[in-house]
Amino acid sequence: MSKQEHTPPSPVERIKQESRGLRGSIQESLTDAITGQMREDDTQVVKFHGMYQQDDRDVREERAKKKLENLYSFMIRLRLPGGVLSADQWLATHHIAGIHSTGVIKITTRQTIQLHGILKSHIKPTIQSFNAAQLDSIATCGDINRNVTSNALPSHSPLHQQVHAYADKISTMLMPKSRAYYEIWLDEELLAEKFDETDPLYEDRYLPRKFKIGIAIPPNNDVDVLTNDIGLIAITEGNQLKGFNIAIGGGLSFTHGNDATYPRLATVIGFTDTEEKTLKTVYEILTVQRDFGNRSDRKQARLKYTVDKLGVEGFKNELEKRIGFKLADAKPFSFTQRKDDFGWSQSNDGLWHYTAFVECGRVTDDENASTKTALYEIAKLNKSAFRFTCNQNVIIADVKEGHKHLIDTLLNQYGVKTITQTSSAIRLSSLACVAFNTCPLALAEAQRYIPSLITKIEPLLAKHNLSQDDIVLRMTGCPNGCGRSTAAEIGFVGTAYGLYNLHIGGDRLGLRLNKKYRENLNEEQILQTLDELFLVYVKEKKGNETFGDFTYSKFVAAN
Amino acid sequence: MLVESRLQQLHEFVSTFSKEELVWINGYLSGLLQNGHAPQRQLDPVGVAVKRITILYGTETGNAKKLGYSFASSAKKKGISTKLMGLDQYRLTDLAKEEYFFLILSTHGEGEPPAAAKKFYNFIHEEDISLSNLKFAVLGLGDTSYPLFCKAAEDVDGRLSELGAHCMLPLQKCDVDYEEQAAEWLEKIYDGLRKTSTGHSSKPIVTEQKIITKKIYKGRIAAHINLNDNRSSKETFHIEIRTDDRPDFQPGDAIGIYPHNRVDIVDKIIAITGIDPSKKVTTPKATASVQELLTKQLNISYLSSATVQKHARIVGTTIPETRMDLLDLLRIYPVKNPDQFEEVIAILNPHSPRLYSIASSPSAHDGEVHLTVARNIFNVSGEHGVGLCSDFLCSLNEDDTVGFYVHKNRDFKLPAAEKDIIMIGPGTGIAPFRSFVAERDAIGATGRNWLFFGDRNFTTDFLYQTEWQQYMATGVLTKINLAWSRDTATKYYVQDELKKEAYELTQWLDNGAYVYICGNKDPMSRDVEEAIMDILCQQKNISRDEATQFLDHLSDQGRYVKDVY
Ligand code: SRM
Ligand SMILES: Cc1cc2nc3c(=O)[nH]c(=O)nc-3n(C[C@H](O)[C@H](O)[C@H](O)COP(=O)(O)OP(=O)(O)OC[C@H]3O[C@@H](n4cnc5c(N)ncnc54)[C@H](O)[C@@H]3O)c2cc1C
Ligand SMILES: Cc1cc2nc3c(=O)[nH]c(=O)nc-3n(C[C@H](O)[C@H](O)[C@H](O)COP(=O)(O)O)c2cc1C
Ligand code: SF4
Repeated sequence: MSKQEHTPPSPVERIKQESRGLRGSIQESLTDAITGQMREDDTQVVKFHGMYQQDDRDVREERAKKKLENLYSFMIRLRLPGGVLSADQWLATHHIAGIHSTGVIKITTRQTIQLHGILKSHIKPTIQSFNAAQLDSIATCGDINRNVTSNALPSHSPLHQQVHAYADKISTMLMPKSRAYYEIWLDEELLAEKFDETDPLYEDRYLPRKFKIGIAIPPNNDVDVLTNDIGLIAITEGNQLKGFNIAIGGGLSFTHGNDATYPRLATVIGFTDTEEKTLKTVYEILTVQRDFGNRSDRKQARLKYTVDKLGVEGFKNELEKRIGFKLADAKPFSFTQRKDDFGWSQSNDGLWHYTAFVECGRVTDDENASTKTALYEIAKLNKSAFRFTCNQNVIIADVKEGHKHLIDTLLNQYGVKTITQTSSAIRLSSLACVAFNTCPLALAEAQRYIPSLITKIEPLLAKHNLSQDDIVLRMTGCPNGCGRSTAAEIGFVGTAYGLYNLHIGGDRLGLRLNKKYRENLNEEQILQTLDELFLVYVKEKKGNETFGDFTYSKFVAAN
Repeated sequence: MLVESRLQQLHEFVSTFSKEELVWINGYLSGLLQNGHAPQRQLDPVGVAVKRITILYGTETGNAKKLGYSFASSAKKKGISTKLMGLDQYRLTDLAKEEYFFLILSTHGEGEPPAAAKKFYNFIHEEDISLSNLKFAVLGLGDTSYPLFCKAAEDVDGRLSELGAHCMLPLQKCDVDYEEQAAEWLEKIYDGLRKTSTGHSSKPIVTEQKIITKKIYKGRIAAHINLNDNRSSKETFHIEIRTDDRPDFQPGDAIGIYPHNRVDIVDKIIAITGIDPSKKVTTPKATASVQELLTKQLNISYLSSATVQKHARIVGTTIPETRMDLLDLLRIYPVKNPDQFEEVIAILNPHSPRLYSIASSPSAHDGEVHLTVARNIFNVSGEHGVGLCSDFLCSLNEDDTVGFYVHKNRDFKLPAAEKDIIMIGPGTGIAPFRSFVAERDAIGATGRNWLFFGDRNFTTDFLYQTEWQQYMATGVLTKINLAWSRDTATKYYVQDELKKEAYELTQWLDNGAYVYICGNKDPMSRDVEEAIMDILCQQKNISRDEATQFLDHLSDQGRYVKDVY
């Protein structure tokens, strides 16, 4: 029942179908000793194995002069449904990062971790070491379901564990059937005959585009649930999980100067009460997208465009046909917070959890704090788990009362507590994507720049008595929105090196997107514009109206 | 043994043949001679009464050996039984027993004998043996570009006379184009032998020295790039030199460069000696201002122990046997006054040139000379020092000018266009192969090209990576094998990569492929040769001796050539 456009499929479609179950010619690419690259088609195929080919953009010109090819390396992203690692797994990751990558462990905006700078010859050993620690990177990239995110902090709800388990179930349900990953990276002998690789969900074409699922437990929206293709919003009554509101069609990316592209928050289309129904619904949303999604224009291929093409009702009808039941009406819910709760908190099972601030999610040792050493020392105690938040922070989780002090001492010793306690409100609720020097799509800096920019914004806030405000400020190096800049009260979207569009009017909780307010600002103009905005805000805000709501009504809704 | 005119004819005739044809003709002629169908004009052996002679050679790069062999074969044809061997093989105790004793000896380093001749050299200089019944002649191979031209041969020649041996012929020194002079020398030897045998007195026959000095080109640095990534542990510079008049060179040739001394060091020397830098001074080799002499002409670094001892005598002290830089020497053993320093200047040797393989092709790079120069870094008692000439070249800037001459290498040449070649050149050994491949690309040679390269790390030390990728893409390079010594826990070198390709390598060889090795002599070229021997033994299952013969045979055909340093 495929409803394909008549325009020719995008090149990636051919590559997927000819990839012999995601194998491509990766083996040949790996043995090609003259280059650090993979063959062009394989760079698409390896994404499904959880890695991206990149190159150090800082040294391109310099190396070209030296008659050296670009400094190619690979970024590997782990599959961590709900973002949890055991202490042993953190130790393993720490060592793998040291041996095979830049050493920096990057906590992503989707609750998992990435290692950068892995040379082609190091990919296999890296994946094998991860495998030894029961970790994999299957389908964390590519046109397929990505890492499933879920509310991170156990103390947020007595139902945390029960809800969190869904992340795993969904992730497993939506894994590709191909054994290519095991064959290529783990030297599993060719199992094509042993295993039936036919994939009823993905077939041989996979999805038209990446696909993302997030699960939130109101009143907390740390996962930014509505920015996902599918958002599941847990509906609870007392200590009971009633089911999930189903939201579809979230996605933030747009392209400068292409009005057919736009960020969109997911639309809540109904409610499911049993696990079986919820999983079936999720599954079939993917099949609708598989069959109706745009396969010729990748800029129109995300679920959000399919939903708008069919219309929310049209999509819902097609979905209900497939699941064989009608979705119940959505239940009311409300969010009160999106940022992380820093510091110690206790969950109803009596365990303690410390949420530590990791600027831009970069776990390393620097002048501010020796976060990497701290986490390493804590992991060696083996008295905690490690949980990652969609705000790029880490939680030292599941700590028994008796071990709390020991861990607290280490957090102190390595300066983690200090930065967590002393960083300004705006810094704590900021996000930035990776951008330079590894992201090939970056137009401007993000994670390497935002710390210093915030340092210059802080005095302005102080000047206007706003230091305590946790205004959500986010920056991305391009409009793809990896740091969810369009879902922020203040959003910076890179347009060219050193230049950013300023977006305002988004709300604090992730229920309303922002709008472009000024174009191509350099730092000086950014600071000046913010100074003016803060001024009117404090002058004219009504009661405890947030900066986002104020700027929305004054500058966005107005015109 | 041919007169000038006929030799000339021969040269002209021979020059019309390809290497392969010559190899064939060579076999054909010796066939003729053996089957007795000797051509009519055969030199009549009668008249040479001397029945037994000894020919020894001391070689570094093989020229002296080559001459030794042709000398021996011509002597045999004259019915003279000859003992031919390398000086390293020679039993020194036999020396006193010799009667007719001929020595072909090259000079290397800074006026030193080849490594293989050191034992002999020291022996005759240290022992006080009597060689009164020895009749000898020495042929010196050298290069007039070096200040100490044929020094080793001079020393040996002089010393043998001191030990009472009778000199049949005065020392014949030959420059790099030695064939002609060597042939004449041989003629004179046979004359001498005839005369001796017919009772004539062996009065030395005076030979006039003809010195061919090389053309010095003035070049401008057009490009100067460190090929290693900035995070590499090494520095290897790609240097492009432009000249007004096209230098005459072929792929496989090298250039010779005279280093300049570092100005800051020269200034220090002038300061501590208090000499007037503008003062004109005359040394045995040159007359120029002190400044000029110290910066451009004379070697002031790592002075030979001989020079150090001379300094000791001048400043009137004793210095233990050692080598050191002039500046250190002057700091520890100062001169009394500027005048005394002038005496010291007089004992300094002029710079020796350093050779660098040409990395460009005349056809592809429009007459430009490209070099691939590694900054030579070494450790002296913990501190790290840099080589004089490589540091000089690596420190040049674009638009600086350098003087150089072309150093021909007759053996290290591309074969006919349709022949396959295997190039083994780790590190700077890659240089001539960049020239080879560019040339073959430019002339559209049909033979296959296989390159073995290695260095420390893939990401930082892959010299000319993008060019090799291009050549692979366009099919000019048939195959490339790479070895990175520091990318893996255990060191991995080109010879390991060769072993991996044992089967295909042998196939290429059986197919008539030419093998070229360039780069460091030690340990690289020896390890590579070892690997090739192993491969031959194992693939052809033959003994080591047979493998050696096989390689010897290849090098006789010019199919196994090394340019190592
Ligand atoms: C690491 C991360 C940002 C971070 O600092 O944390 C990231 C990094 C990249 N994203 Fe993203 N995205 C990340 C979250 C997001 C999000 C936010 C989210 O999902 O909550 C978005 C916006 C939401 C959405 O999907 O609409 C996002 C939208 C994109 C897009 C635009 C997709 C689209 O619909 O057009 C691209 C480009 C593409 O896919 O063509 C992209 C592509 C990329 C790539 C892989 C660039 C590339 O395609 O070569 C970036 C790698 C940079 C690097 O060197 O690491 N990334 N990316 C986040 C990893 C999440 C994860 O663990 O999977
Ligand atoms: C045919 C041929 C081709 C060549 N091609 C190339 C090429 O393409 N690229 C290239 O880079 N090289 C090439 N070389 C090598 C080059 O000629 C030089 O030998 C090399 O650059 C080192 O010369 P230098 O003047 O820098 O070092 P030098 O100053 O001559 O020093 C050489 C060595 O002497 C010792 N030494 C010097 N000074 C001191 C001191 N003060 N104390 C203790 N020890 C000391 C050290 O061991 C040092 O490594 C080639 C050589 C030959 C013969
Ligand atoms: C590194 C090097 C140093 C040399 N030094 C001298 C020298 O000091 N004096 C000299 O007359 N010739 C010198 N030569 C030239 C050689 O003696 C000349 O090339 C000779 O033909 C080599 O003969 P062989 O192959 O038998 O060793 C040097 C050659 C090289 C490669
Ligand atoms: S937002 Fe753009 S620049 Fe930033 S990581 Fe994503 S793709 Fe790269």
